[in-house]
Amino acid sequence: MKRLTALLKATATWFSGHKLRASILAVVLLFTAPWPARAQIISPCCAMLVAGLSSIQSALTKVVGGGLNQILGVDKAMQQFQQAVVWPQNLINQARGLVGVLQGNFNQIQNLMKIPVNSATLPVSQRLEQVLLSRNPNQIVQTSSAYTALYGPVPAPTAASPQVLNMVDMTDAASLAAMKRAIEIDALADLELQAANQLNQSIQTAAPGSAPIIEAQADAWLIRANAYTQSATADLMRLRAIDLANASADVKMGATNTTSLRQALANLMQHQ
Amino acid sequence: MHLLIYMLFFATLSWLVLTVQNQRRLLAVTLAGVMVATLVGAPQPAQAQLGLLQAIQAVLNVINGVIQTALTSINSVRSAMNNLQQLVVWPQQLINQARAQVTQMIGQYRNLMSNIFRMKLNSATLPNPQALEAVMRDHQVGNFPALTAMFTNNYGAIPVSTAANPGDRVMSDMDDALALDNLKTLKAGDQATDIELQSADAIENSSGQAAPGSAPFLTATAITSAIHAQALTQKLLAAELRQEAARIAHRNTLRKENATNTTAVRGVLVNLLQHQ
Repeated sequence: MKRLTALLKATATWFSGHKLRASILAVVLLFTAPWPARAQIISPCCAMLVAGLSSIQSALTKVVGGGLNQILGVDKAMQQFQQAVVWPQNLINQARGLVGVLQGNFNQIQNLMKIPVNSATLPVSQRLEQVLLSRNPNQIVQTSSAYTALYGPVPAPTAASPQVLNMVDMTDAASLAAMKRAIEIDALADLELQAANQLNQSIQTAAPGSAPIIEAQADAWLIRANAYTQSATADLMRLRAIDLANASADVKMGATNTTSLRQALANLMQHQ
Repeated sequence: MHLLIYMLFFATLSWLVLTVQNQRRLLAVTLAGVMVATLVGAPQPAQAQLGLLQAIQAVLNVINGVIQTALTSINSVRSAMNNLQQLVVWPQQLINQARAQVTQMIGQYRNLMSNIFRMKLNSATLPNPQALEAVMRDHQVGNFPALTAMFTNNYGAIPVSTAANPGDRVMSDMDDALALDNLKTLKAGDQATDIELQSADAIENSSGQAAPGSAPFLTATAITSAIHAQALTQKLLAAELRQEAARIAHRNTLRKENATNTTAVRGVLVNLLQHQ
């Protein structure tokens, strides 16, 4: 304490002896010493910053937020429309359920087409019938022998006129071809039924966006099936055309034979 | 850092002020000190308030300009898409109209066509033909033995081996067999046709309640039904082909026999004339 008092006295003595120099230092210190910054709350710069940020917030809320809300409203309306009107899940499930129900119908049709209808009682006719109803294209090669065993071969060249032989051969050919076509068509129809079942099973697990792809494939199968039907119809028409031609040939040959017979009888009468 | 530099400067200035010898030097040191203090203690250059305002205004311009324009455009496009979907592609009114049309057409045609299709066509008048006709048209597949029995009642059995030549017997057997095969196939086909009609009704019923998104399932399954129908038609055509082929083959066999018989008769006649 004494030392402090002595120091203060010495300092006061020094200041009284150097008033001017002490005053200069005091003034320099007063004006040049760094002072603490003023609080920002009262700064006009901060006030402007606050006002600016407030404007930005307002603009973001109104312009950006408002705009996004409008877009959200439109998107929600679109979503609701698509879910309720275009792709309603319950109706999609209902349609899938119907496809499953129809699969049962298809199976019934397929089973009906497989019911055996064989009716022949004699061995020769049973053999031809078995080949015809086989639905197996590999058995087509056996058709000719079974056919000939039942309907007989073309007569020998000395047994009939060439015209008759041609008619008989052509008629057998048309008849055999029709029988072979029947075996083919049966086999193709079986494959079509199988493919249709596969397609229908695919539809049951399809999405609304993938169902049209299966539909396109089914359309292609339908076109193919139509082509096979037309081919069978064509063979039926060929068969009937040959039948009509035979009837016409019978009339022609009858006329020729009658003329020949008349001539032969006239010659016979003249010789007597 | 700034404060440390200032303390160093002030200590140096104090030392110079205290140690300088005359008034003029004191004045010079004081002025130099003030100048240096002004430099050392000068505030750091602050950004102008005008720059801050410009920055805020720039942000506001971006929000009110580019962003607002973009959001308005997006909203316009989305609204246009929404309108396109609801008014052009899937208009609710036309969807309802299509459903109503399905219902209306079901009411207009289904029973009418069903009644026409189910009209009785039986026309036989005698007991045996009536029985055969009834069993032929009953759409059942569990009574094939009855069909065979009725057929035999009407058309007779194959002659016994001593009553006809073997060729005629097998041909008759084949003709009867193919006729019976086809009658059986037709009974199965009739039942399959009934099932096809049920499928068609079910698909039509569902289409009356369908949505645009569920209709492709119905279309696809309708096409698979059409494939089944085609296969059934082909089965019937194959049966028709067999039957026609057998009929023509039968007549051709008769032609073969006629040719052979004619040749034989001609031979007999030639021999007869030669002996005269």
